[in-house]
Amino acid sequence: MVSDYVIRTKNLSKQYGSKRGLENVSLTISAGEIFGLLGHNGAGKTTAVSIITTLLRPSSGTAEVCGCDILRDGREVRRRIGYLPENVEFYDALTLRENLLYFARLSMLSDPGKRIAEVLEFLDFTGHEEDKLGTFSKGMRQRAGIAQAILHRPTVLFLDEPTSGLDPQGVITLRRSIKRLNEYLGMTVFMNTHSLAEVTKTCTSIGILRDGELLYQDSLERTIQAFPQHASLEDIYLDIDAGGR
Amino acid sequence: MSRAFWTIFRKEFGDVFRSRYFLVLCAALIVVMTLSLVISALDFHTRLSDYQRYVQALKQAGGTTQEAPPQLSPLQQLRGSFEYLEIIGAILAIVIGYGMIAKEKYRGTLRLLFSRPIGLLDVAAGKLAALALVWLSVLALLSLAILVTLYFVGGAVLSVSEIAKLGLSMGDAWVYLMFWSALALGLASFTRQPSTALLISFVIWLSVVLIIPQIGDTMDPDNQVPGGLFQTLQVDKAHQHAVLEHFSFYESTRNALEETSISKHFERASFAFLGVKEMYDRQPLAYIWSGTWKDTVWPLAGAWLGTAFALSQCNKRNLLGRKSK
Repeated sequence: MVSDYVIRTKNLSKQYGSKRGLENVSLTISAGEIFGLLGHNGAGKTTAVSIITTLLRPSSGTAEVCGCDILRDGREVRRRIGYLPENVEFYDALTLRENLLYFARLSMLSDPGKRIAEVLEFLDFTGHEEDKLGTFSKGMRQRAGIAQAILHRPTVLFLDEPTSGLDPQGVITLRRSIKRLNEYLGMTVFMNTHSLAEVTKTCTSIGILRDGELLYQDSLERTIQAFPQHASLEDIYLDIDAGGR
Repeated sequence: MSRAFWTIFRKEFGDVFRSRYFLVLCAALIVVMTLSLVISALDFHTRLSDYQRYVQALKQAGGTTQEAPPQLSPLQQLRGSFEYLEIIGAILAIVIGYGMIAKEKYRGTLRLLFSRPIGLLDVAAGKLAALALVWLSVLALLSLAILVTLYFVGGAVLSVSEIAKLGLSMGDAWVYLMFWSALALGLASFTRQPSTALLISFVIWLSVVLIIPQIGDTMDPDNQVPGGLFQTLQVDKAHQHAVLEHFSFYESTRNALEETSISKHFERASFAFLGVKEMYDRQPLAYIWSGTWKDTVWPLAGAWLGTAFALSQCNKRNLLGRKSK
């Protein structure tokens, strides 16, 4: 059976010793969505992304990405995803081109040089190929991070707090890049954030996590319609987070 | 081997030679070893000149001498150099092995690395293979420095057999250094804080390289008097063995203690090949091997265990699950 679900998790849980990281999280994300996972610091957003991207093993539950099980077909999952961690770090002594070549080769690309040029062109990030990463600003690092994440044309792009620490111009540039990836390349985007403004401007659907539990998931449009009494997403978020629904 | 393995291997190898710390430490090791060889060669020249002056003086006085001239064995001059390799080389090996993991942990690049579709062992195997080639390159460079120094300072051209013995000693050194690098890499992967791994590595180094061999040396009856107890008492080899047979339990205990040290095995094997140990000087390789094979096998087993430890620890679960706070 062919499913249009790109990500599906079922009762995903994670325990860190006696501390709960994630509790029975079941969510589905369809192809072409820009999904924003909202929550306070420590709500379990990074844990969720880490598990779905196969970086962390769940304590229980299952998850599939593009029909591949994260535990059985971890390598296949990683072939289909791009990942930008929070505070992306590269090899500072290497140039942008060398860093991208390294990750392109690890992604088994056959013509990495050509693909790097295409990606940098797409992200409007040319002219820095021979600069060392150590000289890059936070915003430039994020764009380099996006470049490495989409080199192998992933089906799903995971972004962990992508706008954290960026200046307004950096945020605008990054937002534009995410939208273009979604519109022109049809990439599904899974974004962790606690920036409600960012979700309003970028996402098509949202999920809300609190203390490891998924409180809510729906499209942004339906969410706004479902809470006519609230003027903004911020009010809706606070309402849901307080257990109002 | 997968493409990811080769990619990691090539990058790690390049990274080591791009590191200023490594280049400085490596250059220091080569300089110290070469200097030791130069001093040793000059010392031999001095002894030879003294002997020639002694013979000349005897001739002028109308006498003759029965004393044989000092024998030049170029490889014996490498004793000090190999001691440096045993002590300082091990430190360098620990620092490089540790650095391969610590730099990724401190920099925070591991999440990106493991988000790529790489195999379970690609990271560990790529890093270990890079270490193997790094040490091969360093030892090849060292061998070249030794050959050049022996030729220009000692005026010695090594025979094929001597080159083979030097090569085997370097082979032992390669195994020995790989043990230390693999151990440090495994520990840096295993511990939450890489600095803890460095501390543990140095405690092991201190025990294995300095303390155990020192206890063994101190317990050696022949070391109780400067210049050697038996030589001072003018006891020949046959009588030495006869005397030591009365202390077989003591001697076995001392030997067993020394055998727990991989450094002592490396020292015994390399000193045998280099002819530093008199009973093996100028002997055929088969004879040396028959007497010292255990001293090669133990470091080999150690390096194999170290590598297995590193392969088992340098994985996603340890490196991401136990990241430093």
